[in-house]
Amino acid sequence: MTRSPYLLRFFAVLLISVVSAFAHAGETLRVLTWPGYADADLVRVFEQRTGAKVEVTLIDTDEALWQKVSHNAGQDFDVFAVNTAELQRYIAKRLVVPIATDEMHNLSTQLPEFRNLKAIPGVVHGDKAFAIPYTFAEMGLIFDRKQIKQAPTSIQVLWDPLYRGKVLLYNGGAHSFTLAAQSLGDKTPFQLAAKDWPAAVQQLIALRRNALTFYTQPEESVDLFKKQGAALMFANYGSQQVELLKKAGLDVGYAIPQEGALAWLDCWVITSGAKNRTLAQAWIDYLLEPGPSAALVERQGLANTTTRSPSRNARDRLVWLEPVEDAARRTQLWERIVSGDRATRVLAP
Amino acid sequence: MRFGIAARLGVLLAAVGLLAAGVTGFYAYQASRALLVQAAKNELLNSTQVLTRRITLTREEITRTLTVLATHPAAIATLQKPQPAQHDQLATVFRGVMQANPGFFQLRLISANDHGLERVRVDRDDAGLMDITGDELQEKSHFPYVFDALKLPAGATYLSRITINHERGAHAGLGQPTVILAMPVANAHGVAVGVVVVNVDLNGFFAQLAADMPKEFELFFSNQSGDFLIHPDPSRTFGFDKGRRVLVQEEFAETADLVAGKVDKVLIEVREGRYAQTPVVVAFLGRKVGVASNEESFIIGVAQPLAVVLQQSDKLGVTMLQIVTALCLVCILLAVLLARFIARPINVMSAGLQHFANGGQVRGLPIDRNDEVGVLARSFDQMQRQINQQLTELQNSRQEFEHLARHDMLTGLPNRRLFQDRLDHALARARRSGKKLALLFIDLDRFKEINDLIGHDAGDAVLKAVAIRLAATTREADTVARLGGDEFVVLLDDPSSQEQIAAIAQKLLDGLKPEIAFEAHALHAVASIGISQFPHDGETATEILANADRAMYQAKAAGRNCFRFFSTAAG
Repeated sequence: MTRSPYLLRFFAVLLISVVSAFAHAGETLRVLTWPGYADADLVRVFEQRTGAKVEVTLIDTDEALWQKVSHNAGQDFDVFAVNTAELQRYIAKRLVVPIATDEMHNLSTQLPEFRNLKAIPGVVHGDKAFAIPYTFAEMGLIFDRKQIKQAPTSIQVLWDPLYRGKVLLYNGGAHSFTLAAQSLGDKTPFQLAAKDWPAAVQQLIALRRNALTFYTQPEESVDLFKKQGAALMFANYGSQQVELLKKAGLDVGYAIPQEGALAWLDCWVITSGAKNRTLAQAWIDYLLEPGPSAALVERQGLANTTTRSPSRNARDRLVWLEPVEDAARRTQLWERIVSGDRATRVLAP
Repeated sequence: MRFGIAARLGVLLAAVGLLAAGVTGFYAYQASRALLVQAAKNELLNSTQVLTRRITLTREEITRTLTVLATHPAAIATLQKPQPAQHDQLATVFRGVMQANPGFFQLRLISANDHGLERVRVDRDDAGLMDITGDELQEKSHFPYVFDALKLPAGATYLSRITINHERGAHAGLGQPTVILAMPVANAHGVAVGVVVVNVDLNGFFAQLAADMPKEFELFFSNQSGDFLIHPDPSRTFGFDKGRRVLVQEEFAETADLVAGKVDKVLIEVREGRYAQTPVVVAFLGRKVGVASNEESFIIGVAQPLAVVLQQSDKLGVTMLQIVTALCLVCILLAVLLARFIARPINVMSAGLQHFANGGQVRGLPIDRNDEVGVLARSFDQMQRQINQQLTELQNSRQEFEHLARHDMLTGLPNRRLFQDRLDHALARARRSGKKLALLFIDLDRFKEINDLIGHDAGDAVLKAVAIRLAATTREADTVARLGGDEFVVLLDDPSSQEQIAAIAQKLLDGLKPEIAFEAHALHAVASIGISQFPHDGETATEILANADRAMYQAKAAGRNCFRFFSTAAG
């Protein structure tokens, strides 16, 4: 007898599910994405709303993403998340298709810098938008407020002899060269010309000589910052590192340099093998809603494209990462630089 | 039945013995096995401790080497003012040390100035040792083994985290698991002007450690965060270097406390994952690094197949089984012997009783025994004696009763009942053999007067005397009986003639004549005798007796004290 209320509730839930599931009942959406982008509870809401079943596959490296999508020419998935730099090779291989932005309702809720897709390099090709910006992280400068009273305004501060042996840098090849090019006033930091290399290498050796050391993981950077008494850090993981440092009890500031902070931007794209593009677009539209957008900030410490974080201001310039002219060469030279080679040996063939 | 008692007793005793031996054996095995397994685990823990001790010893040895190099005059001189002669001298020393220590990848003297430029450097390569000079020397001030070591006091050792060496130009050490030890070189003022740095080949070092262990042992080594550095499956090592961490606490959940530093050792049995087929016992030890380092501790583990641990207890099990089996056999043997020992006297007694029951005498009872069986035997013996005695008494009284039933109490002569029997028998015999019989019916004359005048006692005395005299006068074969009152009969067996009968009758009358003394009375017994003969005077006992009676009355009528024949038979 005591069971009947539960039974009633169960049937009520069942009824609601059935009624609301008319739109895409019986269909399956195959989502390929990064951890934290499609948590189970968010997926469940979308499933209840559309009646479709969502299959989420997770990847954690750019390479894994490329292999899964390219393996069967984009036929195995409907929708996936990729950064704008990586996006280019998917477009080149025709693994993704343009998105009907006029059919999506939530694009208007995005911040102006994300609404204007043409201003984001690599997203629009021949008047057609291939990606919807979803989340991003910029690489600003973290500084110890005790040692640096005035927030730095330029990346030149990384070379300041005043902070010699107190600068923490990210051990990443490709975009260290971008950083060097930016500091040298290069307008196309992602595309180094042959004549630009020696100066860039010199600049990076100078950066190395000014450095305390190089880190790879966020936790490692926090540990070094605290133990070694660093004054300044190039924050490859951006606000995530700021939060970690604050948690560790450090009084740090965060600055976006006037040259513009390098930033990666992950977008949702639809594969050429998508079975139901409307459903895929509905998925993207859904993730731009306040609920999923807030989850991104709260759970992952990442920024979303609909609300501005209090630490970032509208005038801050973000430089979206782009494919570089020769990633292999940049990595090779960077490894030599980090190993301590001097300019002649770094530039040796 | 005999077999039944012995068998049942034997089976019961054997069962008790088997049960006791089996249960004892089982529990002894269980307890011993637990002890053995625990001992093996402790041994494994000891091995692991020895291993960590060896790591510490090796580290201390490297520290001593570094101390020698860091205080070498050529090292200080080279750092203060580089000169070719001193450089070469130091390089020679470095090569010597490298040759003595095949586990060293690289030995370097690094300046505190010039962005940590290497001053003297000897690398190991496939071809051998190489002096690195000129352009190939690198600036290393941004590496912790330089900037951290420079902060140390003279003589202190820096120990790096264990990583894959990605420093370009490191020759044999490039891409290899490496641990770096460094020591500051101080000038006369105690200021660190450089560092001596040695790169140690971790794989080589651990291969050496593993070589000293039994083959089936597996070695694990992780840093303080639990990242595997050594693992039987090399693909699981240095995961952090490949962007995907592989942690000891993920493979062995029980080590979480060890990684957290809550405990310093963990002993576990693993039966899942790669050990699903061959379960292992693993001992993990956490050990603090005793010197300045970015790594505060490390975890070392040694795995041993459980089968090896249990091998000892299996041997024990076999031995136990043998002992139990032997015990069981002894139990069965003892049970059989005991059963026989107990059953034999019982069987002897039961055989004796059987014999007794069949009327024989009981012999061979174990009455000399001091135990319960002896008591039982003695009881049987006593009972047998009592029964025998009572039987004898019963027999005697029965005979007495029989005599009394067939004889006259007063005279001791056969009574009427016995006489009737004898007469019947005699008639039957006579008929068969054709012999003759003669019956003499004797009635005392005037006997009533004796009774009435002198008393019954006198009568009785007369009757007794008559009985004696009649018996004395007749032959052995003849029967004298008292039919009652003053009536006597004499049955003559096969008289030869009537004359002989008459002679006997006269003899009887004469025999009665002498006086009978009774209490001063002189009494006289006088009788009348009637005689009947077979077959002449009747065919049946009744006829014979009745006719003798009639003849007796004729004698009475004839004046008493005489005899008369019933008829004068043709002789």
